Amino acid sequence: MSARTETQPILEVKDITVTFGGLKAVDRASLSLYDNELLGFIGPNGAGKTTLMRAIIGMITPVSGHIILAGQDISRCRIVERINLGMALAQQIIKPLKDMTLLDNVALAAGGDKLLSPVKAILNRSRQQQQEVANSLLREVGLAHSVHKYPTELPLGYLKRLEVARALARQPKVLLLDEPLAGLSKTEAEGMANLIMSLPRKGRSVILIEHNLAQVRRICKTLYVQHNGCHLAFGETEDVLANRDVQLAYLGKSE
Amino acid sequence: MAYEMIVLTNMLIAILFAQSLNLITGFCGQVSLGHAAFLGIGAYTSAMLTKSGLPLVATFIPAMVIAGTIGLFVGAASLRVRHDFLAITTMGVSFLFTGIIRKQDMLGGEMGIAGIPSPEGGRVGLLLMALCLTILFIIVMIYIKRSWMGYVFDSIAEDEDTASIIGIDVRRFKLFAFILGTAGAGLAGALYAHQVRFIGPDSFGFVESVTVLSMVIVGGIGSIWGVTIAAALLSVMPQFFQVIDDYKLLVYGMLLFLAMRFLPEGLGGLTKTFRKDRGQT
Amino acid sequence: MLAIEILIQGLIQGSIYALIALGLTLVYGLLRILHVAHASLFTLGGYLGVLITNATGSLFLALLLAMIIVGFVGMASYRILYYPILSRPPLIALIASIGIFIASEEVFRIIFGPFSISYISPPLQNQIDVFSGIMLSEARIMVVLLAFILLLGMNWLARQTRLGIATRASVVDPDMAMSSGVNVETIRYSIFFIGSAFAAAAGVMVSLLNNLVEPTMGAVPSYKALAIIVLGGLGSVRGALIASLMLGVIESFGTIYFGNLLDRDSLAFAFLILVLMIRPKGIFTKG
Ligand SMILES: Nc1ncnc2c1ncn2[C@@H]1O[C@H](COP(=O)(O)OP(=O)(O)O)[C@@H](O)[C@H]1O
Ligand SMILES: [Mg+2]
Repeated sequence: MSARTETQPILEVKDITVTFGGLKAVDRASLSLYDNELLGFIGPNGAGKTTLMRAIIGMITPVSGHIILAGQDISRCRIVERINLGMALAQQIIKPLKDMTLLDNVALAAGGDKLLSPVKAILNRSRQQQQEVANSLLREVGLAHSVHKYPTELPLGYLKRLEVARALARQPKVLLLDEPLAGLSKTEAEGMANLIMSLPRKGRSVILIEHNLAQVRRICKTLYVQHNGCHLAFGETEDVLANRDVQLAYLGKSE
Repeated sequence: MAYEMIVLTNMLIAILFAQSLNLITGFCGQVSLGHAAFLGIGAYTSAMLTKSGLPLVATFIPAMVIAGTIGLFVGAASLRVRHDFLAITTMGVSFLFTGIIRKQDMLGGEMGIAGIPSPEGGRVGLLLMALCLTILFIIVMIYIKRSWMGYVFDSIAEDEDTASIIGIDVRRFKLFAFILGTAGAGLAGALYAHQVRFIGPDSFGFVESVTVLSMVIVGGIGSIWGVTIAAALLSVMPQFFQVIDDYKLLVYGMLLFLAMRFLPEGLGGLTKTFRKDRGQT
Repeated sequence: MLAIEILIQGLIQGSIYALIALGLTLVYGLLRILHVAHASLFTLGGYLGVLITNATGSLFLALLLAMIIVGFVGMASYRILYYPILSRPPLIALIASIGIFIASEEVFRIIFGPFSISYISPPLQNQIDVFSGIMLSEARIMVVLLAFILLLGMNWLARQTRLGIATRASVVDPDMAMSSGVNVETIRYSIFFIGSAFAAAAGVMVSLLNNLVEPTMGAVPSYKALAIIVLGGLGSVRGALIASLMLGVIESFGTIYFGNLLDRDSLAFAFLILVLMIRPKGIFTKG
């Protein structure tokens, strides 16, 4: 926690507002993420968590606000620029490439500059190195047995893990995980939570959106809570979960 | 013999032209209903140059460069639109091209360009050039398919949004496909102009664009061999239909419909189904 | 020519575009299909208009019969052409539709001959002074009036009938039709009926204005109507109607000012491309 006050945050979200037609899905959201941190992000369904992640990564354009990554304002950057500056998103609604095996799905994401430069792409043929990376990532998320399967052959829980492996293949500085435990069995969720807990290190931090509060409580030290698009609470996990507003807005509904 | 040579050259040009669209539509997933415009750009460029005294071989590069450059601009414009909007925009390009050519006296306007010189080496020379260039282009296509570029194209063709979340610079790759594909069409156009020796705005109209797109779709989007076979078959078909020449378009139109109705994945799709069946048993 | 005359010419042309584009945009809204073969129905309407008028002497009867017959042909085209390939990617339907359109031009040529057919005694040719010296033929006035009446009628149907309300809902969101309790297929058939009948009306009107019909008369409207519904934002009825009138007027002025650079039809597409570069989803859609 001391890191929070001493250093500059790796990711700063400042006053982001996103609207869909008349609906304010995110209303002046602000948060900071520090290096080597695992920040839990909770809020009831429809709170605008996914929308905020999509705004951070650049899939939707906020009406106002700034996103600052490692001191650099990236609010006007395209998705691909943001991703290549070191962000990755594992989406809540999974988007596997259906015509490729899991291995190829992950190896593609590990392609580095071959994904940016057509010239480098046309001059390179070997996928071996990327496949090795992909193999070990798929093993880490517990999919070693399905590397050569196609996404259409696999249940949702597997594909959620594929999504996480693919985001990790980008070797991101900031990893955004949108409900990675959803659809996983209890033991699988536990394993995945352990993996997520092991991710933060120097040069890598994680924002974890999750409804599985038991696991969130176990692995996250800090929590950020959003409700109806607005910031509701922020602080150490146990303090936040004990907060009356949070209980009313969130726990009051789900428990 | 001369007749067979003409048919064969036609076939090779059609294959080259169809493969150039296969790169854009098949590999990279970008529909184009205006590809004949680039065949036209190559044809006009090459015809003007050979008429001014250059040998045909020397016009290949200029034809490709000019078609590719205009392709770059059209591609850059097309980046802004997607799916059905892209289809209609490229259709607009097709109409715009013929509309502009019609009003250019320098390019023969409505009348077109006649008296395009016979290529050096005559019919045999043209056939050999067409053969070499088509094979070369197919080799490039195979190479692309197996390189990281093919890998990246696969992801863009399936889902652009996912491709960009993975960190792929979708725009650049699409532009690259446009440049390469339109340059290929320009090359086919240079050959075409010297095959028919007369070109006009109507040689490169919307129906020609639909024809080449149908070759790609009947062949099976993205399948190199399927598209080669489809282009070969569809290009010689009019010769077989000599007897029913009057009903050519009727037969052609019905064929398009029937192919879409009963063979929606094209010839390439057939082999894929076959392979999958085999894989499972 | 006076600016106001050019404007009026543009609006007349625009009214015809509107009648054609309406069916297209509805079909797109419902099925996400670019229905190129729609223009075949326009041509069929034109032929029926001329032939029935010549046979019976009544333009009114011809118009009515053309709309009804073509409406049913439109329903059949949905069943035969699109229904079997609905689950395929939209490109498949587009190519199939273009195939049918190309074939249909030949069918018209085979059945009605390659040359144009005209009215024996062209109806509604009297010139009327509509506005301080601006003379218009009755036929031109009729075009605008008819477009106006048909579109108003459709608007009424869409707002007052259960079918109309369900249709509007399902154009916005195809799944909503289910919950409204109206059968999806009923909605589709009725859209094809109305859209095709309107295209037939446009065909009759064009046959009247040019006093001829020919096998290829659908070529230009087919593609231009696509441009219109794209400009209007694909699937938006109001967008398509406004874009129709706009394009009519722009073409009308454009041919006068840019006629030596581009012909009328390329002008429409130049405008289309220009607009899409600024607004990639058409003029009348948000975002
Ligand atoms: N693309 C969209 N268009 C319109 N409304 C949207 C869109 N995406 C999300 N919303 C709305 O924004 C609100 C926030 O959604 P979301 O960010 O998915 O919430 P969460 O992830 O916290 O459950 C919801 O009311 C949702 O219906
Ligand atoms: Mg969510």
